[in-house]
This record gives sequence, C-alpha cells and structure tokens, in this order.
Amino acid sequence: MDGSVEVGRRDAAAGRRAEGSLQMEQKSAETVIGAVVEPRAYGFLTVVESGTHGVFGGYLLVDPWGRPLEFHCTAPVKVSRAQQILFGSTLQSHLHGQQIGGTLLAESTVTPDVVLTDLEPMLHVRSHTKLPVALVREASADLPAATFGSLGGTSSFTIGNASVRPHATDAARGDDLRERLEELAAAVDLCEPFERIRAAIDEAQRR
Amino acid sequence: MTVDSAESRPVHSWRATDLALPGVAVVPRVEPRIARPAALRFPIDVPRPAVMQVDLLDTRPSVRSFCFQAPVAPPPTPARRRAHNSDSAATLLPAQPSKRSEAEGEAEAEAPAATPKRTRIAPPADVVKLSERFFYLLQPDLETILETSSLEFPRQPFPFQFDGMAFLMPRHGAVLADEMGLGKSMQAISSIRLLVRSGQARRVLVVCPKGLVSNWTRELADWAPEILVAVIEGDQQRRRWQWSLADVPVKVANYEVVVRDRDLIAELGLSFDLMVLDEAQRIKNRESQTSEAVRSVPRRRSWALTGTPVENSSDDLVGVFEFIAPGHLNERMSPKVMGAAAADHVLRRTKDKVLKDMPPRLNRDERIELTPEQRETYRRVEEEGVLRLSTLGEEATIQNVFELVLRLKQICNFDTFTGESAKLDCLQADLEEIHASGKKALVFSQWVETLGRLRGSLSRFGALEYHGGMSTTARDDCIRQFKTEKKHSVLLLSYGAGAVGLNLQFSEYVFLFDRWWNPAVEDQAINRAHRIGAAGAVTVTRFLSAHTIEERIDEVLRRKRDLSDMILSQAGVPAASGLTQDDLFALFKLAPPRAPAIRAAA
Repeated sequence: MDGSVEVGRRDAAAGRRAEGSLQMEQKSAETVIGAVVEPRAYGFLTVVESGTHGVFGGYLLVDPWGRPLEFHCTAPVKVSRAQQILFGSTLQSHLHGQQIGGTLLAESTVTPDVVLTDLEPMLHVRSHTKLPVALVREASADLPAATFGSLGGTSSFTIGNASVRPHATDAARGDDLRERLEELAAAVDLCEPFERIRAAIDEAQRR
Repeated sequence: MTVDSAESRPVHSWRATDLALPGVAVVPRVEPRIARPAALRFPIDVPRPAVMQVDLLDTRPSVRSFCFQAPVAPPPTPARRRAHNSDSAATLLPAQPSKRSEAEGEAEAEAPAATPKRTRIAPPADVVKLSERFFYLLQPDLETILETSSLEFPRQPFPFQFDGMAFLMPRHGAVLADEMGLGKSMQAISSIRLLVRSGQARRVLVVCPKGLVSNWTRELADWAPEILVAVIEGDQQRRRWQWSLADVPVKVANYEVVVRDRDLIAELGLSFDLMVLDEAQRIKNRESQTSEAVRSVPRRRSWALTGTPVENSSDDLVGVFEFIAPGHLNERMSPKVMGAAAADHVLRRTKDKVLKDMPPRLNRDERIELTPEQRETYRRVEEEGVLRLSTLGEEATIQNVFELVLRLKQICNFDTFTGESAKLDCLQADLEEIHASGKKALVFSQWVETLGRLRGSLSRFGALEYHGGMSTTARDDCIRQFKTEKKHSVLLLSYGAGAVGLNLQFSEYVFLFDRWWNPAVEDQAINRAHRIGAAGAVTVTRFLSAHTIEERIDEVLRRKRDLSDMILSQAGVPAASGLTQDDLFALFKLAPPRAPAIRAAA
C-alpha cells in the first residue's frame, strides 16, 4: 500500500493503530485504498478467580498481529455464600456474562470483530452485546457440545491449535467468523492471549 | 385478669314446694353444667422478622482501562505467517544464508531445531507504573513479534539469544554479560532493530573499541540490513556532519571519538534514545576521561555489553553501573549485596549452561622447561632484580616490581641474549601438524615484539600479525586474508587488540604463548575461536615456563579466581581475578610498601 492511504481516526486508540498501518502491504478486509483504514481488532474476555480477592475480569483487545490495543480489568468481585445459594446454577453465567463481561465490553473504545472467551459461562455476555461471541479451547480439549443448552450451537470449527464454537446466536455467521479469525490465528495461537490476561491480572494482584 | 360473669349463664324455670320441713329452707340450686374454667389472656408481642437483603450482584464492578500504542511495523508477509493445520508450533522462517558466510567461507552454527519455546518479555523490576508493566506483559511472545514483523535473520537465533533480546528490550539500564562467543553483539543489534522498527528508538549510538568498529558495521549489515548506519570518523568537520545526520538511526563511534567529540556532542544538542557500549569494561574506572565522556552523552536507555564486567574487583561493576544506572551500586556494598542489587540489570550466561551441544574446549597446560641458556639468563636477571628490590627496601615501588616481572616474562618467551625459545620450539612442532592438516591456529602474546619474532620464525606457516600498532585497514585486511587464504595457517595476535570482538571461530587451535595478568582477558582471547559457529573442538594450549615467574603468577590467579567464583556466583557476575600490589610483591617474597594498596595489573 502506498503512502496515499488516508488514515481514519475513529478514536484515539484506532488512530494509533492506524499509524502502524501506514506501511501495510496487505490490506485487511475493511481496508480500501483511499478509504478509512480500520485494522481489525479482536477481543479476548476471561476471568481469573483468586481465593483471597474474588473474581477478576480481564478484557484484552489485540490487532491482527496479536499486539495489544487496549486492556480492561475489573476490581475483584466477591461472591457470598448467600449469592451462591440464591443464584444456584445460574451464578457463573450471571457473574461472568453480565456483571463482568458486560461491564468490560462497555468500557472498550475499540469495537472488535469478535469476542473470544475461554469460559463457557462467559458466553452469556452475548445477551449484553451485539458483538459475536465465541468459545475457544485448545483443539485437544473437549469443547462442550450439548452442554450449551439453549445457548448451544453446532457450528464449531478448528483453526490452528484452537477449537472455536460461536454462540448459538452467531452460529449462522460461522464462516464469516472463521475467515476473520484466520487472520489473527496466522499470527498467534487463539488460546495464547488468555495467558497474557492472566499474567496481567496476576501482576495487578501483586501490586 | 377478668372472670367470666353470670351473664352467660342459661335461664331455667323452677317452682318452690313447701315440704314443711322445720327451720331449714333449702333452695335447691342446680348448676346446668360445670362452669368453664376461667380463661386467661396473655398479650403476646411477637416482633416482625427482620428482612435480610442479599445483594444480587447487580452492582457493576469498577474497571481500570489501559490503552497501548501499537508498534509501527509492517504486517507479516504471507510466507512468514503461522502455518495452519500443521502439527508444528510456529517457528521462524528458515534462516537466510549469511552473505558474510558465503563471501568468507565462515562456518555458521546450525540453526537449532524448531522449538515450541516462546519467549516472553517480562517487565524489569524498576518499571513501577502498572500501565507500563502491562505494556510488556500483554505483548505477544518475542518469536511472534519477530515472525509478524517481516524481520529476516542470517540464521535463526538460539533460544538463549531470544532470552537475551527479551532481557534487553524493556530495560533502560542493562548489562549483557554473556561469556564471550555467545553473540552479545547479535543480541544487542536484534534488540536495537526491534526498538527502531517499533518506533521506540530513533537515535541509537553504539560505542566500541576502535578495532571493533568494522566488526560492528559488518554485524549490523548482517543482523539489521534495513537500518542505516553511520560510522563517526575522519576529521572534525566530517565528524560534525556525521553526528548531525538526522535520518540515520544508528551511529557507531569508537571510545576515543566520543572522548574527543564530547563538547561537540553537547554543542550540537545531541541526545540518544539508546546508547550501547561494547566492551564496557573500558569505563570501569569512573575517574577516567572515557567514562566521564561516555556518561556525559544524553540518553534515555543505556546498555553495556561485556564478557567481563568484573575484571579485577567488584568496583569494576560499580563503574559500569555508573553508566547504566548511576548510583544504583556503590563500592561499600558487600559482593553479596551488590549481586542482589545488580541482579535485575545483569544477564550473564556461560557456554556450558546454554550451549550443551557446543564443541568442547580442550585445555592443555604445556609446562615447558627453559633451554639451558634461557634458564641461565633467567636466573641471573631474577637474582639481580630481587637483590635490587631488597636493597631498595621500603623505597621499592610497584613499578620496580612490575619491571622485573615483565623482564622475566620476556626471557620466558625469548632469551634476550641468545634469542633461544623453548616455547617457540614447542609451538613450531605443533604448528607443523596443524598446517599439514589444513587447520588454522591463533597465537596470543602480550608483546608486539614477541609477535614480530614469531612471525619471522613461523613464516613457512604463512603467519600474519594483528595488533594495535596496525591501522584499521591493515587489520581488516589481515583478518580477511587469514579467513580466506589457505596458505595462512597462523594468526599472531596481541591480547590488547585481538582478544575482543573478533569472530575467528574457524580456528580450531589457540596458543597462549605467554600469559596475561587476568584470566578473563585470556578467556576473551580463547573465545575468538571457541564461540558459536565453531566447527569442531577448540584446543587451547597455554604455555607455562616451569619453575619461573609464570608458574607463580598462574598459581596466584588460579587461587583468586576460585575464591571469587565462590563469592560472586550467586550474583551471576563473573569472577574477579586481577593481581594486586600485594600479589606482585609476594611473587618475590617481598613485603609491599605501607601505602594504600592499588590495583596492579589488569
């Protein structure tokens, strides 16, 4: 791509990323010469449970080369025994999907193509966002199939070392998601950014 | 309390009958039933139950957000991308052949096999801000950064070299103290390259000994071919122009130029994002002009490369730290405390730890008896010297002792009267075999004069000389000839000029014709051959004249090195092992003068 590409400024973060895209040789799906350049972004959403502090949420947004764009993390949420009893089996999905996931997604200034999570209860965040959400696991690990219940879907696919199962709402977009994720998976293992989130939250706990 | 009254009693009809009974009138009274027992009423004041409220997790947790500046780098080309549906983990592309290797026939190390090891860039301990720590923690692993940055290397780095890059990159003050031959320059250049490519460094200054400038430019061309490099040299007008070049990211200067241009750098208002010192032991003396000039250059990051951060004492490390982190260490610290304080800034690896499959280094201490003529000369000079020192008594200076030591060492090489040399005889015998087998050998001496004598005697082996008295061009030409022309089997080098920075790993034999004062310098010399890329085992022969000053020096140094190893191993700092004033006087069983001890030889 030559230097005549106009760089759109969606927001501060996007602007910074666009700076990095000036030398792009390959254009990503949305890139059109002379039009706004908006490199894709991908969201990684997970929680880290700490015995002493509670549950921390972490949301990492990366560019197609796996480089961090934004990171958001929550203060720890401590669940009481009463809450455990009252929420029963719905506790995890409520806590992860709505309380933590929904909050984190709302904080982001970058709109990712897809939000990936490595936790099944976190799929419930789909009820609080318009973004497609998918569960990612190592290809060797068993990805829950029927356990999704009403959220379940069968449009899972494998990219590199990762199995991906879109939320049932996004099942019809499986091919599109796959195509988008392949660009990222060419640079990083789709399960790897969750390790970074965990390392960052561990660091935050130590400080 | 209340009693139930008769109101509720039922009404019954009844008739009186006169029974004419005297005096007593009985009025029958019939109770219709047994009266109810009196009811007691107790007002019971039962309080309303307290309502417990259980928080239903409807309060959103607070969120901390961090934004990062994406590095300026082109996206990966398709060929470099991670292969999908492949069993192998991502690896770097196969190394491109080194232009230098092709041109000069230099043996390169085989690229290590694909490994799943991924190297993380950990934030240094002195990075306090959480956002900055997150910046490093949230980066992809180093291998991914390299793969996705379209960076090509002449060969795939070893895993420990990735660790070295991950150590250098995030640090503003760092000492890379790898043992000689592990590729400190390559690690520094690759880190510079990544910083320049990511926009984190735009102005980099590399300072090295004069003899290594051409080596650095060669290495930069190999490991960072796309980065423009300017060598600061020539007259002042030319240097002024070179210093002012704004669009050249990397400038290379030797120490003398930096000292000379100290005022010019200030006048031009130059500042650097990164300053790298090669052979940083040059600034171990904080009072030296070199140290002061180097430290006066404005910079954001300071990296020091040295295989011997501690040549003589832990004070040497304090000197280096005055450049990378002023005030962080001081000479009052005990070695243990200093080691702990320096730990996060110093990375030290040795070959035996990181290169399990590196060809072995075979050490051979050759104890050589002096020829009768040499022995006689030696005996006479020693006796006269000791007598003179004894006569001087308290007036004897370290200079007097030093002169005697040097004189005796020279006699161990060549008899000053007859020109005989037992060492030369031995060397010639070994070289016959080496020459016949088409191998190459390096011979080190501390005297240029000795090298000259050796060259004359070893001309049939095509001996070449390399020392500080030669021009840079002549030295480069000498190295080129030795590498490329088969007829040159022997390269004669001085410790001063030849012990640092040269890559001569195609040589399988190293001879230390005489011994340096400090084993660290000897190690540097040996590692010109025994380094990454060495094709086979490197045989090191250390000549030692039996029953002479050389044996006594060797014994002292060996003892000191063992002690230092024991003290400093925890700090990961290489051993200190120079000779002190006391050591030198003790060589002749003389008491040192009462003046404060000074460092005698390095």
